[in-house]
Amino acid sequence: MSGTADGFDPPAVKIAARRRARLRHWDLVALVFTLITLGLAIVWAFPLYWALVTTFKPEYEVVRPGIQLWPEHFTLEAYIHVLTRTKIGFWYINSLITSVAVTVIVVIMAAGAGYAISQLSFPGRRLFWWMILASFMVPIQHGLVVNHFILMNQFHLINTLPGVVLPQLVAPVTVMIYKQFFDSVPKDFREAALVDGANEFQLLFRIYLPMNWGITTALAIITFIGAWNIFLWPFVAVNTEDKMNITVGITQVHDAFGVSYARDLAVAMLAALPVALVYLIFQRRVTQAIMLSAGIKG
Amino acid sequence: MAATGVQLSRGLELIVKSRRNEIAVAYILMAPFIIVYAVIFIWPTIQMVELSFTDAPLIGEGAWVGLKNFWRLQSDRLFSTAIWNTFYFVLLSVIPSTLLGLVVALAVNRLKGWVQSVVLAAFFLPYILPVSVVFRIWSWMFDKDFGVAQHAITPFTDGQHVSVFRTLPLFMPAVAFVTIWWLLGFNVLLFIAGLRNISSEIYEAADLDGAGRWTQFRRITWPLIWPVTALVLTIQLILQLKIFDQVYLFAANVRTDATMVMVQYILKQGFQMNKGGLAAAASLVLFLVIVVLSVLQFQLLRARGER
Amino acid sequence: MNGSAAAAPHVELRRVTKRYGAVTAIADLSLTVEKGSFTALLGPSGCGKSTLLRMIAGLEDITAGQCFIDNADVTDMPPAQRRIAMVFQSYALYPHMTVRQNIAFSLSVAGQPKKVQDERALEVARILQLEPYLDRRPAALSGGQRQRVAIGRALVRKPEVFLFDEPLSNLDAKLRVQMRLELAKLHADLGTTMIYVTHDQTEAMTLADKIVALDHGIISQIGSPLELYNKPANKFVAAFIGSPGMNFFGVDIVTMNGRTASVVLPGGRTAEVGISTSTSAGPAELGVRPEHLAIVDPNDPHAAFAGAIAIIEHLGNSTILYVETPAGQLIVEGEGNLAAKSGQAVGLRLDEGHARLFGETGAAL
Repeated sequence: MSGTADGFDPPAVKIAARRRARLRHWDLVALVFTLITLGLAIVWAFPLYWALVTTFKPEYEVVRPGIQLWPEHFTLEAYIHVLTRTKIGFWYINSLITSVAVTVIVVIMAAGAGYAISQLSFPGRRLFWWMILASFMVPIQHGLVVNHFILMNQFHLINTLPGVVLPQLVAPVTVMIYKQFFDSVPKDFREAALVDGANEFQLLFRIYLPMNWGITTALAIITFIGAWNIFLWPFVAVNTEDKMNITVGITQVHDAFGVSYARDLAVAMLAALPVALVYLIFQRRVTQAIMLSAGIKG
Repeated sequence: MAATGVQLSRGLELIVKSRRNEIAVAYILMAPFIIVYAVIFIWPTIQMVELSFTDAPLIGEGAWVGLKNFWRLQSDRLFSTAIWNTFYFVLLSVIPSTLLGLVVALAVNRLKGWVQSVVLAAFFLPYILPVSVVFRIWSWMFDKDFGVAQHAITPFTDGQHVSVFRTLPLFMPAVAFVTIWWLLGFNVLLFIAGLRNISSEIYEAADLDGAGRWTQFRRITWPLIWPVTALVLTIQLILQLKIFDQVYLFAANVRTDATMVMVQYILKQGFQMNKGGLAAAASLVLFLVIVVLSVLQFQLLRARGER
Repeated sequence: MNGSAAAAPHVELRRVTKRYGAVTAIADLSLTVEKGSFTALLGPSGCGKSTLLRMIAGLEDITAGQCFIDNADVTDMPPAQRRIAMVFQSYALYPHMTVRQNIAFSLSVAGQPKKVQDERALEVARILQLEPYLDRRPAALSGGQRQRVAIGRALVRKPEVFLFDEPLSNLDAKLRVQMRLELAKLHADLGTTMIYVTHDQTEAMTLADKIVALDHGIISQIGSPLELYNKPANKFVAAFIGSPGMNFFGVDIVTMNGRTASVVLPGGRTAEVGISTSTSAGPAELGVRPEHLAIVDPNDPHAAFAGAIAIIEHLGNSTILYVETPAGQLIVEGEGNLAAKSGQAVGLRLDEGHARLFGETGAAL
């Protein structure tokens, strides 16, 4: 146990010394790794930063050779122009209306359907569950875009906001996640509430949903972001500027100002602002929802 | 307010008297979803299959032509271009973004506290952006005259500026590059979740056993993270097969069909050439490819869940 | 109050059967519970006691048979209409509601005005000493307090029958004793019919007027606690009730002498044991409770066994000794200040009047 007096270090001490030397070596390597990681993060964030900074530069600075990391003359000219001379107002409102509509409708439908599949027994229950799984494995937006167009045309909903909203309402992932969470509520709560006289609607709205507000928030946020960002369907379904959502709108009109980098980027930044804000504020919910939708709990 | 709420549910309750009417409640709760599902999913899918066997235009009736559309697809050079481009794009983006995602996740996982949060946000924020914003950012980065990226290109071209997206061989790699920048955060997130599931005790035991860093990665991390790697690969694969937005946007001013991808082909046939039947046939092909891969992905998910 | 023949059955299960697919958990069981009584359903896990309780509550379907509460056929009635209230093992307190909201939930569900809800919740909280906690969430309460909230939630409904599903099993030992007393007091104060499921025979013995002992879905014996203790009808009940448990060993019945039988004990000595059915000579099992064995001098001529002490447990008010004998290891309960040493050779005296004979089917003889 204790060191012998004749100068031979017992093996444990030797190993400890070796480990310490290795650790020091690794500490240096660790530091280098961390610096590399930070460097990579900066590189990754650079394009976004660069685009943002460009929007605050006057056009003559933008086209100057060389890299200026901060505007010499900070200006809001690009934004003012975009806000006053484009239909961005329309686009924002359209995006807001469609995104909110999709979010509200999808979440309510999914909560109801998820609750029914999770808690109630009825004929066709297994069938519905399999159908939902099936729709999860099918490319609804991209595979059916032509037929959605034909259908919306039959309903006379082309170039209208409801027409943009409708095909976005099938969201099997949301139902699956609700079912998963409702399943995990211990049965005792359901039974206690039944004994207390609650009916199924009271169970859903007063027990199951309140116990899962976190997941409702996460799903609502992720649905909102998805609806805000969607490109393909609104691109196909809308052909007049005043009905476009913002993601489509900003790509359709850059010709109007000729080549003006700051303004093009300014309108893009404005388009990204709401979802970026939502992410930065609700970071944890967003990451939680994304992991859930990939099938990973937690 | 609460009183009317109670009255409403009492009213519903009267419809729904005893336990046996669980069934009625279930249908009431599921009705909206089922209706939307039938209208937006079932019906168009049936229509698509039916349409693919006709020569109908986009809007209107057509005659039954059997497999003619599918033969057309087979012989259409543009269709094979589209398929080739799509798979080329998948090749360029799926594996690199998965591996890079793992590397970044390993790097980020070593950090702690707010530094980790900030770094993670730096990688993840692009994922939140709409595709058109990503397009604008990188259009600007690669701009022929004033783009920052030219500084990295000119050393290789004797000072010549290159219009990256108009240079055919560079187009797909560049779009893949941008796509990787855009979507990496998603992969990183999934990998970090997977890495966190590996108990640190395993690494401590390996340390004691004398295993070096690389050995630890090869013999511990890689095998244990494999389920997540497989999951990310399949998710990315299925996602990129549907590629349209970025390719369309970056090629918008370039009048060429050489960079066409599958969804683009479908749109062209359907909306430009007014060939509804043909577009439906192409859609069906895409549909089937993705369904097969999705089923495989689902089995993978289930196997993971069984662990 | 004991269940005399004159009291009408308040709750009655008539020939109920419960099947889960191919498995029959309970077959053709009939049971009555008298009004105002405290009836315990006692048995090991899996014996079907919880299933019975849940059938009475309406949380499980009755495959065949009927259930009556106060002479009304409730077999097909949903739980909410049966005028019962239930306290769950896990309490099932709604975590996102305060104590007041938890207690008043059933009233709120029924559409009672807020004023009434608050009044009744306060009333119940007073009875259970929960007043200071009315605005707390369950997560901020101790185990015993949560238990009381669960009881309060049941209490506020003024039910005809209280159902308890192992309510004390999640509490630590000391708390369990305390809550037992509170439950006993509650029953004495309210006089409501209570049906109580437990696997703990101490709880059943101390709380119940009537115990229904269940073994694999079949009623083994029904009776008052002392009846089950002193006159177990079969080996299952004899072994289950009483702690430390009854000793069992094989004996040979030699002769029948009217109301007693002579048996040969392992080790050769004989004993004279009471018997209530007539049976032929042959092997049987004898059951003796630890308190009916006494440590005596090894050379005592009246000793039933000679043995050696293996283990001694000093509990203060009593001493438990594990003694190796020709009949196997027997548990003996003695005085608290018993002087004895491990390994010591002793004799065991048997209180023949309190020994019970059991036949090969396990039924008492």
